[in-house]
Amino acid sequence: MIQTLVQGLTIGGILYFVSVGLSLTFGTMKIVNFAHAAVYCLGIYLFITIMPLVGGMHPLALVIAMAAIVPFAYVVERYVIRRLYGESVDYTIIATYAVLLISTNVIKRVWGVQPQPVADPIGKFLDMGDATISVYRLSIVALAFLVFIGLSLFFSRSVVGKIVVAALDDNEGVRRLGLDVNRYFSIVFMLGSALAVLGGILYAPMTAVQPYMGFTILLLGFAVVIVGGMGNLNGTFFAAIGLGLVMAITGRFWSQAAETMVFIVMGIVLIFKPLETYGTSGK
Amino acid sequence: MSVSIEIPDKPGGAPALGGVIQSMGRDRTLLEMAIMTAVFLALWPVIGQHRVTDFMVFCILVLSFDLLYGYMGRLSFGHVLYYGTGGYMFSVFINYATPNPLLGMVVGIVAAMVVAMAVGLIVSRADGAPFSLTNLAFNQIGVFCALSAFAEWTKGDNGLPSTKMQPVWFLDFLQKPVNFWFSLFWLLLVFYFLKRLTRSPYGLLVRSIKEDESRVRFLGYNTFFYKWLTYVISCTLAGLAGVLITLNYTFVSPHAMDPNSNLDIIFASLLGGAGNLYGAIVGGILYQLIKNFLPMWVSDWEAFLGIVLLILVFNFRKGVTGFVVDRLAGRNAASMQPRGGEAR
Repeated sequence: MIQTLVQGLTIGGILYFVSVGLSLTFGTMKIVNFAHAAVYCLGIYLFITIMPLVGGMHPLALVIAMAAIVPFAYVVERYVIRRLYGESVDYTIIATYAVLLISTNVIKRVWGVQPQPVADPIGKFLDMGDATISVYRLSIVALAFLVFIGLSLFFSRSVVGKIVVAALDDNEGVRRLGLDVNRYFSIVFMLGSALAVLGGILYAPMTAVQPYMGFTILLLGFAVVIVGGMGNLNGTFFAAIGLGLVMAITGRFWSQAAETMVFIVMGIVLIFKPLETYGTSGK
Repeated sequence: MSVSIEIPDKPGGAPALGGVIQSMGRDRTLLEMAIMTAVFLALWPVIGQHRVTDFMVFCILVLSFDLLYGYMGRLSFGHVLYYGTGGYMFSVFINYATPNPLLGMVVGIVAAMVVAMAVGLIVSRADGAPFSLTNLAFNQIGVFCALSAFAEWTKGDNGLPSTKMQPVWFLDFLQKPVNFWFSLFWLLLVFYFLKRLTRSPYGLLVRSIKEDESRVRFLGYNTFFYKWLTYVISCTLAGLAGVLITLNYTFVSPHAMDPNSNLDIIFASLLGGAGNLYGAIVGGILYQLIKNFLPMWVSDWEAFLGIVLLILVFNFRKGVTGFVVDRLAGRNAASMQPRGGEAR
């Protein structure tokens, strides 16, 4: 039981890392960013490449990979997403999906389609009576809570965070104050991308690293964002943890159904939740 | 969106494929259908008859998608769910009930309709991004049902053959030419139906919902009902396409429902020009030609597709038909271009 709980919290934590970026992009720019999966996947492959270069130091490679993805995220934001800012949602979906396709192809070319193994960097287990718990997973859970607290502080205390929160609420209003909203969105976009890479690298030892891995996690991320509310940062966190638990508990009884259960929960939430209409139909 | 609200029946508004066919009223539809038949018949000896059938079914799918995306402005990322549902229910019926393909066809289409009615109640509440993503989620659920949940009947990853079907009357669907004519018949029927539908007051209402839903609601229309109805019609037609493709391949697999296939439809729709029926046909044929023959020369197929999509989104929002029409109409139409694609 406690194993399932830790499992759920771990998946929840990783979903949180991935969804923060999606939620922020949607909340600020009203853009559904399929390119997020490209960033996620590319980050993991960069990590795999960097790892041997820094002598197998996992945390160092992780930080370098997160930093290395920022220029890529910037290019995507500047040359694809910003050009579509304020346009209909359809075009942004299609354009960011195109970016995902191109980057997947590049990954296939450079690294091949063979799944790549990533070792558990801690490899220790806690003995809890009848269950053993991976220390690595516990540390992911701890890190997720730390990041949540950190982001909460960032958005409530720092100037950049405050501006972004204000823009989430009333984009036009902030613009009228003479602030260059796009610049702050750009910062937020890169922050979200780096967090997605963090989530991806932490998840890598538990899954097979292959060029199409971004797609599944992206769907789950979207489910989290829809359940938690688009642009709602606290909602994203709790939705991620909740859906992670749903996945772990379902997976305990019927492993193939774990991901589908998330979408069923999402459907149920959509039935009962009054759904705001976002940015389409003549706004 | 790139498509203007003008009623295509008015002169100049209708994006005809050439100057030949213009303002001939009712005869025009017949002429267009004759041209379509001629085009597909001409393709027959060039690319093989099985492929042409494939193309026609794909055109039906794109047409059905166009009603939802081009006309109502709802980008579904889960349209193949109904395509797969139609195919699967058809095949399941053939295998476990009676091997009568026509009855199976009715079952497949009705199944797609019933699923669309239920799912439509949820997704019609959303629009924009939540609409796309919710459809995508339901698509995932569908794949799961076909792949794991009902694997006992669907045979999971292996797919389900429908070779058991018996000839009905003169319709022996194991004969390829029968499939060709049958699919062509349905394509023309769907085209005619959608043409009438989109030019009716209902069609105008659907397009008004795309432009400004709150105003339509303000006029006293129950927009939820119309959105739901359009969703159901569109998805039922997708179910029809699913049945036809299963007839052609005598086989259905979870691949038919692969969420990535939605991109094929979106891409074809954009390529031809979303929001007009000719665009759907032209886009469907062009896309299938690219997909079937390009990989022979270009190995990085995905990157190519991605780059073309980016070009379409940034520069050619009206697709091939829109481009041709603009050229024919001269600079007048072109000068209106900047208004296209504004925030909705």
